[in-house]
Order: sequence, then structure tokens, then C-alpha cells
Amino acid sequence: MGDEDEIGGGPSGVSDEEDDPARRREIRSKYRDLINSVQQNREDMLNPANNKLIDVLEEANRLFASVKQAREAALDAQLLVLATDLGKEKASQLHAEGSAFDPSAFAEHLLSFMGLNRLEEDDDDQDGHLNGFLPQDAWQKLAKRSEVCFKTAPSFHYMLGSFLAEPPPPRQRVERQRKAPSKEAKRIMPTQLKKMEESQQEATEKEVERILACLQKYFADDPEEPISYYEFVIDPSSFSRTVENIFHTSFLIRDGLAKISLDKEGLPCIGPVEEGEIETGGAADRNQCVISISQASWKEIIEAFDIKEALIPAPKTLSQES
Amino acid sequence: MSQRKKASASQSKSQRTNENEDEMTLSQMTSSQVLRARENFTSVQIDRKVAEVVQFILVKDQKKIPVRRAEIVKHVMKEYKVIYSEVMNRVRRTFEQVFGLKLEEIDTKNHIYILINKLEAGETVNMCPGNPKTGLLFVILSIIFMKGGVAKENLVWNTLKKLRVDSGEKHDEFSDVKKLVTDEFVRQKYLEYVKIPHTEPVEFEFRWGLRADIELSKLKLLEFVAELHDQDPQSWTQQFREASASESRT
Repeated sequence: MGDEDEIGGGPSGVSDEEDDPARRREIRSKYRDLINSVQQNREDMLNPANNKLIDVLEEANRLFASVKQAREAALDAQLLVLATDLGKEKASQLHAEGSAFDPSAFAEHLLSFMGLNRLEEDDDDQDGHLNGFLPQDAWQKLAKRSEVCFKTAPSFHYMLGSFLAEPPPPRQRVERQRKAPSKEAKRIMPTQLKKMEESQQEATEKEVERILACLQKYFADDPEEPISYYEFVIDPSSFSRTVENIFHTSFLIRDGLAKISLDKEGLPCIGPVEEGEIETGGAADRNQCVISISQASWKEIIEAFDIKEALIPAPKTLSQES
Repeated sequence: MSQRKKASASQSKSQRTNENEDEMTLSQMTSSQVLRARENFTSVQIDRKVAEVVQFILVKDQKKIPVRRAEIVKHVMKEYKVIYSEVMNRVRRTFEQVFGLKLEEIDTKNHIYILINKLEAGETVNMCPGNPKTGLLFVILSIIFMKGGVAKENLVWNTLKKLRVDSGEKHDEFSDVKKLVTDEFVRQKYLEYVKIPHTEPVEFEFRWGLRADIELSKLKLLEFVAELHDQDPQSWTQQFREASASESRT
């Protein structure tokens, strides 16, 4: 290849001037720049508001005047393929009946819908920097509204049933007894089992009563101040205790001994029901709902409400075996 | 019904090399063979099998990955595969009448099913907080639809970037956005991510997936897009025409 370039008026019939390797390198470099600029700024070129694509073609035309050999012509062809592709897309924008669809405008409208908090008055992204920030629930808000367009089948999940409020220490005692001499051991075992059954049923009731007593005591101290439901049930030192508290408190609600309402800020509060306030079996509005809590939410609530200690003290009777 | 028989007949002709024996058995049985096979099972047994299939599909639907007929046959039906059609008809009825769901075959060639809601969104009140992924999916599907059914991937990534979702960075809500969009949504059949031929470097484009075609109402989508633009949905004539036609088909 190099040899052909040196020979003036050689086999290709081209003169020295046009064979200058430095000149050809320059042409190739300019073509590559053009190709890159088209690829990088594709969307800009597609914008119907400007004629940048025509500028590129005119520049290519100028360059082509100096092209005499296949290598440069190949680059020109490559540029032409890109430009035609863009041209086709620009043309399809014109053919569309009705309004054109502008994804950038769409994005702006979405941002407004999602509640973008703009930091300054003037518009953003002059130099590509995005202005403002989206609130935490932005995507959830959008999801809620766009759900309507979907006919998604709700996902099937098991509703996890209730769990034993207490660990089972009696069983361990029974096992140790078995190792002792047989006659005595046999006599002792049945009574242990009986005790376990009773404590299962009564323990829950006892807990519920204890919690009611707590609630009434707090309310008696300050009848005007509603007690925040979260502060009441959350035990910041134990997630499992928190879940138990929610479980037991739900019995109070079910039996009409306590009620949950929303305060001015829309946060749930709990309070005991005064005698005669609700007619049992009456047409009072009773609502059902399912409450769930995860370890993550539990931690978030502790932080948000700055809960330092549990309003419901842990039960003293049972020592939790570690 | 006759269409499916034709499809299975041509399947057995062209796919002799099909490794899945179950598929071949199903397509080669005549109706009298099926009737005789049915005698082998009591109605109590069939009831139980129907319930098992329903439960299988419900659990599979949790991740929204479509269920294949081969899976149902292999894991649940087993020896009951000879009465596959009858069991599936009852499964379909159970979904409609008990759960208010529709079992749709989105791919009649490969026999792939999904569950969708039979009830319109307005008829029920959904108390659960919205899933952010739905919002993201909506944005992508809208771009594709408004662009006439195909959108180059760069257009989608650039628009998402304006919404502070960068496919190259970890996102607070969505983590690996690229994976979510090009892998999860594609496996769930909400999107198709196809290579554009003869592109160098390789470029991809997005289309609606088979699930999206069935699960979404194009008209409702257009209405929301119009709402956002504070415009009449009919101002996008082509899209409105497409959306109305699609609505009347469902």
C-alpha cells in the first residue's frame, strides 16, 4: 500500500498530491470525527427543530471532494449509512398524524406528577445537570396511578397464622424427669402436660388483660392526650415483643375494649373505650384491617418516633430461655 | 378448540425430534383414547388434581414468570396428563369463578400461561401501597407505545435518566436498573429486548412483551399519558386508533 502511494502517477492513475499519506490521514480523521459526532448526538440530530443533519451532510460533501481512494470512500459510505438511518427516522416523525410524541416533555410531565422539588427558579439541564430531587414516595405515587392500566392478578401469599406467645419450657422439664427412676417419672409426666395446655389458653388472656390495664393507666394519667398507637405497641429492644404486643392489642380492639382512631396528622392513636360509649352489637362502624410489620419497618418507626423504651413493660412471670 | 388440534397436529409432524415425551403424548391422543383414560380416575381424584394445579399456578404467579405446560405436566399432572384438557378446563373455571382471575395462554405454540385479573381496576379497591416497579414499567411501556410499538434502547435509557434513573448506576428503589429492565421484565414477558440486525456496535430495541399485550389496556395507558400532557387522547390519532382497536379485541 505504501509503495503505491510513493510512485507518482502509478497504477491507480492518481497524482502525487492526492496520494499524500498525511493528507489522507487528515481526511480519514475528519470523517471519523463526523461519524462519532453523529453517533454521540443522535437524539440532538433527530430533533425536528434543527438541521444539524444537513450540516453534517454538507461537511461530508466538502470532504468527499478530496477523496480519491477506496479507504476514504469507505468511511464516507459508512457516514452515509448513519445519516440515511437518521434521515429515515426524522422522516417518520413527519409522517405521524396528530401530535408528535416527545419523550423529554413526557419526562418533565412525569416529574411534575411525581412531585419533583425544584431547588431553583430557572430551568435545569442547560449543561446536563439535573435540578431538584424526587420525594421518597415518587415512584410509588406513579405506580398507584398507573396500576389502573394493568389487569394484574394479585399475588397469592399465605396469611401467616398466629404463633404461640410463649416459649415451651415445660417440655424441657419433662425430658429431664424421664432420666429419673421409672415409676416416679411416669407419675410426674401427665401433670406437667396438663399444666402446659392450660397455660396456652390462659396466658394469652392474661396478657391481653395486662395490656388493657397498661392502656387504662396511661389514659387515666392524661385523659386528653391521645396515645400514639406506634409508641404504645413498639418495644425498641425486641422485635418479637413488638409483634406480640400488636397481636394482644388486636384482641382489645376486637372485643370493643379499645379503639383506634386517626389524629389530626393522620397517625393512628389508641385509647380505651369508655363504658357505654359503644353499644355492643350495635351499628357502630367496626372496621377490619390486617396489620403487618417487618423488621425494617420496625426500625424505621423507632427512628421516626424516637421511641426509647416500651410503653408496655415485658411480662415478669416467664423467664425467656436464651 | 379446532385451532388447537390443528396446531398440535402440525406440531407432532414438525417436531418429531421434540425431547419432551409428554408433549407428544398429549398431541397424539384421539378423543376416544381420552375418554377411556378418564375412566381410570375417580371424580374425587380429579377434583384434587384440579386443586393441585390451581395451587401450583398461583404460587408460580407470585414472581409473575409465565408457566409452561411442560412444567404443569411434569410436576403436578404426571399420570393425569392423559386428561390434561379436561383438568385444565376445570382449572380455568375455578380461577374465574373462585378467584376472579383469567388463565390466558399467551403463547399458543409453546403453551405458556399467565394469570390476569378478570375484574377491571375500577371495580376493586386496592389497599396495598403501589409497587414502584409498576411505575417504572409503565414509563417504559408508554414510551414504546407512543413511539409506534418500538423504541431504541438508548431512547429509553436517556428518558429514564431524566427521571433520575440511570441504567449505569445503582438506584435507591430499583438497584440494578439494567438488570431489572432487560432481564426481569423480559422474563416476565412484559418487555421484549431484541437485537437490531446489522448494527455495529450492537444495538437493541424494546417492544411490548406478550404479557403486556394482554395485561394492559392501551386505552387506559393513553388516557393517563394524555392527562399528564393536559391534552386530549385523540390528539395522538394513530395511537388512539391503535388503542381503541386493541380495547375492542379484548
